[in-house]
Amino acid sequence: MAIMDLNEVAKSVRRRIFEFKTRAKAGHLASCLSCVDVLVSLYYDNDTFFDHKEDVMIFSKGHGSPSVYPILADFEYIDKSELEKYCTPEGILKLHADHTIPGCHFVGGSLGNGIGYSAGLAYGSGKNVYVMLGDAELYEGAVWESLIFISHHNINNLNIIVDRNAMGILGKTEELLKLEPLEDKFKSFGFEVCTVDGHNFEDLREVFSKKCDKPRVVIANTIKGKGVSYMEDVWQYHTIIPKEEELIKTAMEELS
Amino acid sequence: MTSQRDTFISNLFERAKLDKDIFLISVDMGAPSLDKWREELPEQFFAAGISEQNAINFAAGLSASGKKVYVYFMACWVARCFEQIRYSCAMAGNSITILGNSVGLGYTPAGPAHNPTEDIAYMKSLCGIEIYSPANNAVTKELVNLTCDEPKLRYIRFERSFPQELESLYLDSKIDSDFLNMGSQIVLYEDGGSGESTICIITSGYLLARAIEVSKILESEGYDVAVVDLYRIKPVELAKLEEYDYDYDLIVTLEEQTLSGGFGSSVCELLADSGYKRNVLRIGLPEKYIFENGNREHLLNTNGLSVTTICEKITSKL
Repeated sequence: MAIMDLNEVAKSVRRRIFEFKTRAKAGHLASCLSCVDVLVSLYYDNDTFFDHKEDVMIFSKGHGSPSVYPILADFEYIDKSELEKYCTPEGILKLHADHTIPGCHFVGGSLGNGIGYSAGLAYGSGKNVYVMLGDAELYEGAVWESLIFISHHNINNLNIIVDRNAMGILGKTEELLKLEPLEDKFKSFGFEVCTVDGHNFEDLREVFSKKCDKPRVVIANTIKGKGVSYMEDVWQYHTIIPKEEELIKTAMEELS
Repeated sequence: MTSQRDTFISNLFERAKLDKDIFLISVDMGAPSLDKWREELPEQFFAAGISEQNAINFAAGLSASGKKVYVYFMACWVARCFEQIRYSCAMAGNSITILGNSVGLGYTPAGPAHNPTEDIAYMKSLCGIEIYSPANNAVTKELVNLTCDEPKLRYIRFERSFPQELESLYLDSKIDSDFLNMGSQIVLYEDGGSGESTICIITSGYLLARAIEVSKILESEGYDVAVVDLYRIKPVELAKLEEYDYDYDLIVTLEEQTLSGGFGSSVCELLADSGYKRNVLRIGLPEKYIFENGNREHLLNTNGLSVTTICEKITSKL
């Protein structure tokens, strides 16, 4: 798919996320918007290696997992009508994706665990497994236990992606509790590390179309709330869902 | 005498030689039986280092890919990875077998951090988990077959050592999956012969030997006493007791745990749910962490679980 088209797809995915999130008034909207372009690159760009029919996507960052729902609808894992039933008793889509949803493979909601789980799945199945971590999730000690293990066993069919939107719930990670130098940290654990603009489809294509002998971490620099101007990089929007008609209208115009 | 841990691992090793889907993960724990495994089946073994959380998450992922996974560590550390057992295994529906070595006060004099005296309470709270506490090697050995043939989320509590006389239990019984599914067995019935009160002592593991000792003393005092080995802690099953119609004047639960949520609570729940109104006496460790020095026998004696104290607690309740 051409880059221009990928941008349109991403906009469409964000619009639908914004719609079902504001309808349900169920949080973590900004966290979902930051990782959309990475997912669009993997699912829609035929020049990247990810094959949604063969490979496995795990959301360790469970609160960001609803970002995959419009994509699952596009690829007919779920019926499009499910997006309208998000977080309702009639629907199957939840605030955190879980293994009962077609196209999803793991329970979401407890941070720091998806990476070790993905390592086991990759090792045992031999499949290519992609695991999406939030950057604030890196505060969990279990992540680093797993990194030691993955590196030692050279589990290179596991692709670790960090959605580096540089924020936790309370604000910027570098002001609250430093994570940097992140690249050096992963490198010192024995990983190949690629840092990319997580909203640039050319950069994403280059990274995700490159084979790697060593286990790899892709740090995708992203913007929390990406696509909705008044939400971008505003930490308070981690928990706030726009309710006012004017705000919803503005967002829908920007995402159209 | 071979330990339960070595009995389990060496028998699992025999199965693993024939089944390449069996994996053993050690959280930096050794065992004589493990040395052979590491040498002969290195591709089915992982050293996870001291990292319980990753060990459980990795095991859950392996299980999701169809492997039969065993994670071996000290029983006290199940608390360290409780969330991973809950989340990646119980909630996500991944079957692994957790081998917890040395339950109760088995690691004395290492202190309370090494001695899990409340693990039954928190582990039994997990949805769908099965918990076993074998009292001897015969039961331990059959647990290998159960876990290989019918994978489920299970926590197996090994005694670091156990009284030798327990090895002669079940010599005349067929230990198979039906036996394990019974969940408990009456191992002894002492008839005091004087028509005095009847007592049923339900216990497991190490304390089974102590319960048998208690029963002989009570029998000599004229009481009828049954001793039950509750080798499956969850779900609790007292099927055999029904043959006796639960017709005891006193049901005693005896455990090397504090009483907030040990198996004594489970027995009370079962009796209540079954509509049986019986006097129950729960005997266990005091509600405290034990910092005293001394071996296991000493600490049991000084913490309310000496044979004499158990007898006194029972007779004073009648």
